[in-house]
Amino acid sequence: MSPQDDRLVKFEDQARAVLTESVTRIDSRVRSRLNQARQAALAEVARPSRRPRFFLVPAAGAVAAAALVAMLLWQHGPHTPSVLPVSEGGQVQAEDLDLIADSDGLDMLQDSDGAFYEWAAAQADAGAETSS
Amino acid sequence: MSGFATLAPPYSMPSASHGDAELSSSSAQARSRALNGFLAGIELKAFKIAQAALRHQDDALDAVQDAMLQLARAYSDRPAEEWKPLFYRILENRIRDMQRRRTVRGRVLAWLPFRGEDDDEEVDPIAQAPSDEPSPGRRLEIDEAMQALDKALESLPRRQQQAFMLRNLEGMDVAQTAVAMGCSEGSVKTHYFRALQTLRAQLGDFQT
Repeated sequence: MSPQDDRLVKFEDQARAVLTESVTRIDSRVRSRLNQARQAALAEVARPSRRPRFFLVPAAGAVAAAALVAMLLWQHGPHTPSVLPVSEGGQVQAEDLDLIADSDGLDMLQDSDGAFYEWAAAQADAGAETSS
Repeated sequence: MSGFATLAPPYSMPSASHGDAELSSSSAQARSRALNGFLAGIELKAFKIAQAALRHQDDALDAVQDAMLQLARAYSDRPAEEWKPLFYRILENRIRDMQRRRTVRGRVLAWLPFRGEDDDEEVDPIAQAPSDEPSPGRRLEIDEAMQALDKALESLPRRQQQAFMLRNLEGMDVAQTAVAMGCSEGSVKTHYFRALQTLRAQLGDFQT
């Protein structure tokens, strides 16, 4: 170790001694407040966990899935008419076409029943030509 | 059958769950005791480090208190050997926030035409009394050395001061100091060596 390093090491020790001494002289007011702060921190540890309850997530997912299935069954259930009512003369009634043309009907068109509604429209056109 | 497999039997192993609760409770108590010991062991040095950086007693106390709370909230379940660097990392962030806020406040106050004294708090002479009573001559020497060192520490760049306090006063090794400062071990060595050289150039071989 060079003399320069030796002096630095000696200075380190002296500085450490001074700093350590200054810590021992910290007054009672500060010590009291630090003690209070420590107790507050420990109380924080003792408090019941405020973490989110992750075990509820699967249950919530199951409920949401059940609700979705119920809604789908309700929409495509047996009460939904599978055949458009047709008049005795083979004509599709005007109110039935109105039902198809409204906004709800457009939504239903997106559900793979497009071929049926095309057929129904063709039937309506054919009926109109026959009557004219 | 798979549905049954996932269901917990309602009345199974009552003694085991009771034992788990006891184990959990005793574990929490042990952790709380360990944290208490850790915080009690570092709080005075942490205050000294915060005071050197902030140069204000109450701000330093607030910074240490915030760091204690955050460590307890977020990291108390981490291994105890990780607490020290984590605590000083939190403390350093808090100190930096306070310094920034103080800078902004100083800029704002500089524009105000009238402002009261910042530090009008009454000093309690009993509370300010030192805890130890060395001889008057020795006390004077130590006082002078402390004042000189405090003044020299104040003149250091923040990172050098931080490296010096963590390594010299807190006794943390280079790796722990690097975690606490959020930099590489090489940077810690550089900051510490420069701090040491600057302080020695200012103070010489001061006697203690």
